[in-house]
Amino acid sequence: MLEIRDLHVAVEGRPILKGLSLRILPGEVHAIMGPNGSGKSTLAHVLAGREGYEVTSGSVTFGDEDLLALEPEERARAGLFLAMQYPVEIPGVANMYFLRQALNAVRKARGQDEIPAAEFMRRIREQARLLGIGEELLKRDLNTGFSGGEKKRNEILQMAMLEPRLAILDETDSGLDIDALKTVADGVNRLRSPERAFLVITHYQRLLDYIVPDIVHVMADGRIQRSGGPELARELEERGYEAVLGGRLAA
Amino acid sequence: MATALDTVKDYTEAEYKYGFVTPVEEERFPPGLDEEVVRRLSAKKGEPAWLTEWRLSALRRFFAMEMPTWQKVRFDPIDFQAISYYAAPRQKERPKSLDEIDPEIRRTYDKLGIPIREQEILAGVAVDYVFDSVSVATTFKRKLEELGVIFCSISEAVREHPELVRKYLGSVVPPGDNIFAALNSAVFSDGSFVYVPKGVRCPMELSTYFRINAAGTGQFERTLIIADEGSYVSYLEGCTAPMRDENQLHAAVVELVALDDAEIKYSTVQNWYPGDKEGRGGIYNFVTKRGLCRGKRSKISWTQVETGSAITWKYPSCILQGDDSVGEFYSVAVTNHRQQADTGTKMIHIGKRTRSRIVSKGISAGRSDNTYRGLVRILRSAEGARNYTQCDSMLIGEHCGAHTVPYIEIKNRTAKCEHEATTSKISEDQLFYCRQRGISEEDAVALIVNGFCREVMNELPMEFAVEAKKLLGISLEGSVG
Amino acid sequence: MSAGPAMVVSASRRRIDPDPSFTRAFAELAPRLPGSDRQEIAALRARSLARFTELGIPTQRDEAWKFTPVGRIVNRPHAADVPAEPPLERILPHLLGGPKARRLVFVNGRLVPQWSHVGGLPEGAAIESLTRALERRTEAVAARLARDDGRSFTALNAALAASGAWIELAPGVVLSDPVQLLFVTVPGASAPMSHPRVVLRLGSGAALTLLESHVGLEPGPALTNLVLEGELGEGASLAHDRLLLQADEAALIGKVELVLGARARYDQTTVALGGSLLRSESEVSIEGEGVECRLAGLAVPRAGEHVDTLVRVHHRAPASHSDQLFKSVVEERGHHAFAGKIFVHRGAQRTNAYQKNDNLLLAEDGEVDSKPELEIYADDVKCSHGATCGELDPSALFYLRARGIDATTARGLLIWAFASELLDRLGDRTARAAARRALAARLPTGALVDEHEDAA
Repeated sequence: MLEIRDLHVAVEGRPILKGLSLRILPGEVHAIMGPNGSGKSTLAHVLAGREGYEVTSGSVTFGDEDLLALEPEERARAGLFLAMQYPVEIPGVANMYFLRQALNAVRKARGQDEIPAAEFMRRIREQARLLGIGEELLKRDLNTGFSGGEKKRNEILQMAMLEPRLAILDETDSGLDIDALKTVADGVNRLRSPERAFLVITHYQRLLDYIVPDIVHVMADGRIQRSGGPELARELEERGYEAVLGGRLAA
Repeated sequence: MATALDTVKDYTEAEYKYGFVTPVEEERFPPGLDEEVVRRLSAKKGEPAWLTEWRLSALRRFFAMEMPTWQKVRFDPIDFQAISYYAAPRQKERPKSLDEIDPEIRRTYDKLGIPIREQEILAGVAVDYVFDSVSVATTFKRKLEELGVIFCSISEAVREHPELVRKYLGSVVPPGDNIFAALNSAVFSDGSFVYVPKGVRCPMELSTYFRINAAGTGQFERTLIIADEGSYVSYLEGCTAPMRDENQLHAAVVELVALDDAEIKYSTVQNWYPGDKEGRGGIYNFVTKRGLCRGKRSKISWTQVETGSAITWKYPSCILQGDDSVGEFYSVAVTNHRQQADTGTKMIHIGKRTRSRIVSKGISAGRSDNTYRGLVRILRSAEGARNYTQCDSMLIGEHCGAHTVPYIEIKNRTAKCEHEATTSKISEDQLFYCRQRGISEEDAVALIVNGFCREVMNELPMEFAVEAKKLLGISLEGSVG
Repeated sequence: MSAGPAMVVSASRRRIDPDPSFTRAFAELAPRLPGSDRQEIAALRARSLARFTELGIPTQRDEAWKFTPVGRIVNRPHAADVPAEPPLERILPHLLGGPKARRLVFVNGRLVPQWSHVGGLPEGAAIESLTRALERRTEAVAARLARDDGRSFTALNAALAASGAWIELAPGVVLSDPVQLLFVTVPGASAPMSHPRVVLRLGSGAALTLLESHVGLEPGPALTNLVLEGELGEGASLAHDRLLLQADEAALIGKVELVLGARARYDQTTVALGGSLLRSESEVSIEGEGVECRLAGLAVPRAGEHVDTLVRVHHRAPASHSDQLFKSVVEERGHHAFAGKIFVHRGAQRTNAYQKNDNLLLAEDGEVDSKPELEIYADDVKCSHGATCGELDPSALFYLRARGIDATTARGLLIWAFASELLDRLGDRTARAAARRALAARLPTGALVDEHEDAA
């Protein structure tokens, strides 16, 4: 589904990703762990098409498309979703209204009609209930004045509604207390299916207790340094990045 | 990768959708302005002597007045002698029924998206159509007549209700108020007149659609709305004009009078031709709008969405004379390319416990300049007066200007005034977030701008809000960056 | 056909002719003015007077004077160079800056050498009276006087300036003790006027605390027309405390115009507590990145006093920060006008500019005018302004009274709380104490509150 080959990315001339390769198949949940500054968030942003990142070499294919050639909205419409670490506030635009605009844009790209209002309301209410999001939050301005937990839950709500093929969760656990973390993880787990893949980016192992990955990658210095099963995450938690990566971290 | 704003710049180079010309046979005066022109105009309309004299005295004032220089707009001197002061579709007589309207004019309004027939039947909005200088049709007349609501062209009102016209014309905006008001008073050709009798709540929105069609003309309509005690009326005004290389002058006057417990809601969507990207052509929109809350507990509310015109110069104002009267001003002004807008309001507090609220949202893009200019004046008599002003500007790109010029003058210690202003931009983060959810950049800009203006858009009547929302998006197309 | 209405607005209604006494005073004084022995200075002064006469006294149709009938207040006969010898004990309370402060004292525009002291300066520092500066650096001073900003009072100042100072710090020179410029007015019977000119030049990294005091010793008509101008080099720092304490009937018109280089820091606090007219103009031009500019002011006009504050901050370079906070407490027949403007010029991205004007209108017959303006030509900026006007918060008053505090004291406390935020901004401790005394003298509960504050 997603194939990253020897990806090199620079920011303002400074190399951040230095030859990253990764292959994700439908139905798989991959976790990327790594210390601060290892390039985790850069990877998420490059995949979603954020500006300011220069791909100096390498390729990314999504399905059978060249992902890097697509505009951000085209990537979204092709089924790539990024749950952001810092969801942006947009004053004056109601949360629900925004989601409906987004959903219809995605549906249109898929050749579907606009979603009927009643069906939209039914679905959003159902998903919101599952995520413990109140009606009031749906009517408020997008992310404006939301607490950290509300923002993250709202990201998962959007993900549930937009039904992506590949969801990237960028530090979704940061700033969440344990209850919110569980709610968010439950939301993700409900969406796991044989057709859908996840890329979970996190600094801590904690989230992976609730979203159990198939494969764990350890990233440092712009590259994946080690891959393994869920036990690798626990090893990291117990011994720390330094010990697990040995001398490689210093580079 | 291109920057977001570059990408926005790339998409459709927006065209002014209303820029067509309607080929109708018309009657017009040769260009020029003097007393003879005013006499002929008045005679053409069969006006009584007092009105002819009123016009002539306004003309004399006009010639004695100077152009104001305080506004933050630049333009070449207007040659008032190069304008034709009367242009009208040629008709044998005023149509008796809507079916008699010139089919070309009907088609024009269809193109504008306001088919007269459908509008009447479906929307239940009573519309007066002013084409160039004369009112061509007023729908829904009979239904309104049953309630005693008078809604007709001002020419007709002069004939049918001279006592009302004579009593109120110029009572809120005197002919000598400013040079454009003086010009309008001398040469106004038509416009709408509304009188809502005591205790009547007008059951439908009244609407006028203004259209400048003829080249080399100006439009000088005059609107007068009187809401008698305890009455309510909501009035909508829309405007478009053909695309032309020349600048055309629009100098309208709108006067509102609200008596005890009356309420007038006046909404405008102004989309006159703004000129092309280089600033060629476009309407010079110099308009005087003022409401007098004469009665106790009366209320006047202005809502405007200004997207058109090369120059916008208008300050819809409220004189809060009656105790406990309320004035409101909700404004969205969008400027793009080389447009210049200098707009705002005046709230003059005279009566006790008078309240006013000002919400202004200015959006500047391209190489345009957008100025909010407002006055809140609280006189010594205005015990317990309140004002709240919120003025927000959004800049799109680094070549435009956004300016805020509020005047606050307070002479009563029990008054309370608050003014706040902010400046913001559309952030790259916001654009990226929207696009990551599948929304195109163009739609994302419109979405964010509409969000920025929501407080004002919410004040518009439903059918207008939809149009206004689309207009915001269209006005900003192709210019961002 | 007629040409239609005239398109040119006549400037005539924006000015009135100056009172002939200005020209008479000039004719009488010219031979005695500092620098008059130099032909080019004498000619420059004559040109400036002609320019003043041409520009005239602004009327309220002049937008910069919209709220102030300046002609009515100052366009009347004044006498220049009126000698006065007030006793030292009247001056002592106004000597600020501590025992090591350097100081120039002027009475009615004449330097009083025995009270002035500018010795012991480090190398690279110069503090000279205007007279001395005109002798030692004639051309540099002449260039300053010749600058035409289109403002009539600046021209009048250039024509008649006899007092004032040249203050210059070479790069890196830091004066740890304040410098005070004290302008004393003793009206006598002749309505004296003085026109101080101060030039301030701080080289890169230089630092100075400047205390500018204007003091009226007794009521009576008088006019002080000040121009203070200069530059702060890169990383220079200026704390500028301004105490405007004129006596009744006396007017002060002052303009401060400064250019700030990169990373300069400028803190101006103006306390306006007395005078028939206190007109304070500040024009600051930020011409480098990383500048911190804070302007603040407090005005407490009463009994026919009129305070008019005009502020213009120009951001001409990216990434600088400016902050304006102006407050007024308007008592009976007091009038406060504030017009503040932030200009963000093209290219001044990442500017952060803030402006606030809060007014307490406490009297039936007081008046507050506020015009907080923004003019912005860059999109990546954070600018905001706010203005409020109202009475004391009735719920706060009630709260205090419910705790047993009488109404007068409660009002005094709330006014003090509102105003003292500004006094705290004064950089110099002695200036702060002086301002506190002056404010306390204006409040019914003054003494009580003052003691309390001093104890704290």
